[in-house]
Amino acid sequence: MRRWFRTSFRRRMFAAFVAVSVIPLMLCLFLMMRVFTRQQEERERIEAAGYLATVTGDLEDLHLGLLKAGRRLNADPMIPIALKGGTVSSVSVNNILYSASEEVRSYASCDLYDAEGKLRYSTRSTARPAQLPKTRGILKLASENEGLVYSVTEDVTDTSAPLLRAAVRIFERNGETAGYFVAQIFQSDFRSMLEGKYGAQNELILVSRFWRPVYCARPQLAAELTPVLREALTTGTRPEGLEEGLAYSAAQEKLSGIFAILQRPQMFTSETVRLLQSIAMLALFLGCMTAFILSVVLGSQLFRPVERLRNAMGRVTLDNLDVQVETGEDELGELAERFNHMTAALTRSRTALMENQERLVRNQRELNEAQIRMLQAQLNPHFLCNTLDTMKWMGKIRGSDDIALMSTDLADILRFAISPDEFVTLEAETRILDRYIEIQKIRQSGALTLNLEIPEELKDCMIPKMMLQPIVENAILHGLDGGEPGEITVRAETEGGGTLLKLSVLDSGRGIPEEMTGPYVPPEGEAARHHLGLYNVDTILKKNFGEDFGLRLDNRPGGRGTSVTAVLPLTRGRKKAGAEDRRETG
Amino acid sequence: MAVKRLLMLLLCCGLFITGCGGTAADDAVFPEVSAPAEENRLTVATSHKKEVWWPVVREFEEQTGIWVDVIEGGTNELLDRIEKSGNAPAADVMFGGGVESLEAHAGLFLPYRPETDQEIDPRYRSGDGIWTPFSALPIVLIYNTKLVEKNRLVSWKDLLNEEFRGRIAFADPGRSGSSFTALMTMNAAVGEADFADRFADQLDGKLLESSGDVLTAVSDGSALAGITLEETALRKISEGANIALAYPEEGTSAVPDGTAIVRGTSREEAAKRFVDFTVDRDVQERLPERFWRRPVLKKTDAGVLQAADLPSPETLMLVDYDVQDAAARQDEVLMSWSFRLGREEAEQ
Repeated sequence: MRRWFRTSFRRRMFAAFVAVSVIPLMLCLFLMMRVFTRQQEERERIEAAGYLATVTGDLEDLHLGLLKAGRRLNADPMIPIALKGGTVSSVSVNNILYSASEEVRSYASCDLYDAEGKLRYSTRSTARPAQLPKTRGILKLASENEGLVYSVTEDVTDTSAPLLRAAVRIFERNGETAGYFVAQIFQSDFRSMLEGKYGAQNELILVSRFWRPVYCARPQLAAELTPVLREALTTGTRPEGLEEGLAYSAAQEKLSGIFAILQRPQMFTSETVRLLQSIAMLALFLGCMTAFILSVVLGSQLFRPVERLRNAMGRVTLDNLDVQVETGEDELGELAERFNHMTAALTRSRTALMENQERLVRNQRELNEAQIRMLQAQLNPHFLCNTLDTMKWMGKIRGSDDIALMSTDLADILRFAISPDEFVTLEAETRILDRYIEIQKIRQSGALTLNLEIPEELKDCMIPKMMLQPIVENAILHGLDGGEPGEITVRAETEGGGTLLKLSVLDSGRGIPEEMTGPYVPPEGEAARHHLGLYNVDTILKKNFGEDFGLRLDNRPGGRGTSVTAVLPLTRGRKKAGAEDRRETG
Repeated sequence: MAVKRLLMLLLCCGLFITGCGGTAADDAVFPEVSAPAEENRLTVATSHKKEVWWPVVREFEEQTGIWVDVIEGGTNELLDRIEKSGNAPAADVMFGGGVESLEAHAGLFLPYRPETDQEIDPRYRSGDGIWTPFSALPIVLIYNTKLVEKNRLVSWKDLLNEEFRGRIAFADPGRSGSSFTALMTMNAAVGEADFADRFADQLDGKLLESSGDVLTAVSDGSALAGITLEETALRKISEGANIALAYPEEGTSAVPDGTAIVRGTSREEAAKRFVDFTVDRDVQERLPERFWRRPVLKKTDAGVLQAADLPSPETLMLVDYDVQDAAARQDEVLMSWSFRLGREEAEQ
């Protein structure tokens, strides 16, 4: 997956666009929805609290009205007498009852029960029990408690029975119970008291202080919902049974203990939430789409030139340097321009490279020519060797040792020269040098000495074959004066921390003109023919080891003579090669 | 990986949005009002139907000011639940359930004798105070009045008559507590060792799933006679079924259902008040009229019983029925019962 991104800048760009467009959008939507819901909830809560305040206010009025009626009835001396069955005019008792219950009469059936629970006087003719049990219910509560007590209906759906009863005990002068003032509130009473006071779309449920149903305009709702709401209250969580999309608020009327519960449809229902969610999802989708389109458009603007460049580069890798890319004014155009410059530069350097290669080929050819010249010098060597051997034996037979020696030496030199090895050990080279000097000694009547200053550890260094001989020859021919005894020294040293081998050939001759000192310069014209030896060695060194190598000519400091120096990379030869050399030469 | 992260981001955004709406539901339903304090509450587990417990609980709440939470369920289910809840009992009081069941779980309950213990009929009184009786429930015979002549069924032995063979509605005593009580009762009443065998034979392999089925079977005529509780039968009759009751001549039992305080309750006082309340005279005297149940108090007003067509306790012949013994022998009796019935089936 990471690969999927890493391999395409376009995808990364798309992702970035999505992130940039979606995150702020989401944040904004989230905050807006939060604020919106909170505000709406708050407004609803305040509204609900207002309704509930009205309802509890009415319940409080009812409670105070009943309390007042109870007090007034208790204050009247005629009431206990009437309840005890004394002879009083029922009209006057009714008058007292009516005037005492004036405030609450329209909301309750105001009745007087005697101490045995028998109905004596009433403000209504609606159905209410002529006898109330003393041992339970409202009368028991009233007889055991001071003040106004309440008892709720057993069955809230039974609207023919009073839903709520409130009672106050009426005392005789001596403190005994004379009877009870009982207010019985029916479904219709509650309805006329509360209708229209809690919002048309809301439901109101009155419950007792034990959260048992008392009243609801739809009694069935109260019967079904109250146990669930009660569970919600006791557990503190929203039970399964509560319908979605409805919110509840409750308030208690403190004097009677009755709770009013308001059920209101949530303005911010799950449907609204879903709608908002759909809008948010749509916004999210649009954001993604915009991000996609933008990334495609910008991407193609960015990637078409890049793609062209990429293709051009592809062609460059296929060795087509004539590619030119369309340029433009923006950064990518500049890039294209630079690319064009680059291909041009590449073309130039390729031309240079080819020239270089040509030079290399030429060099090789020159080297070959030098080698051919060397070979030419070795023309018909076997014939020469055999002849020399014959000469050796003839010399020995005729007692001419010099001839025999010279023939032997010359044969050795020739054999060495025609051997196929291009490189030989320093030791082998110096052995051939000895042979050569032997011949020269005979030729020049012994006035020649060869000193070898070669450390033992350098004897196995590899050098180009027949490298020293031409230098020594040059020293004998040009360095030494004809008649005088000459001395030639061959010295080997390491240089450059052991990586280079420095070979010097020193003579005790007359030296060279000052202008010839320094690195060897091949002579031109007629002189070249005479100095072929040095020229060949120099060429071999240069072609084998590079232009930095070659011969150097110097006058010996503080004395007579010339030094010819060759510096070459130090390479050690194999023992075996050395052994072969020895056998061959010995 | 990055794609995954991007998708996660989008998903989070989605959840963000969907999460916005749900916040309202997380809050308490009633933040404005609070539930009553713990000590003023009582949790009552009851196997009674709501029509029975509701008037009792409502009246109890109003009279005592104690807030009652009710857990409804079958007797065994509730006993199980209480047993499993251990030291923090699921309920404070177990209200309902045959006293045999309560006796069988004696370890779950705290012995208590209500204030009015002396007023309770000794026949129904608990030996060890583990439970307090609530209502007495005699076992009765019933028959379909349209299919059976009057006086054809007056005793346990009448059940063995040929006309009732295979036509007796009887619930599986392994499943129905009242059916088990009936089985124990007829054995004790008839006093003949092989009566149970002959009765099992007379059933002709027919057993009903639950005690409720007995009434249905007899009233719709698929059975002629049945054995059930007096309360259940009277209720059915009041609904207009063609059923008549017969109290067996040999006598019957009236094993009460009871109330017991759960051991380990933190509201013992409230629980005791509730138990007291269940045997309050007013509550007891309303039992016949409203629920066709017999009060367990000694001096019950005869008019109360008459109002509900209940024979007075004096005319009710009760056999000696040892609740503790029945509870102890339950497994053994049921095993031999299924053995008898199994033999029946094997012979067929």
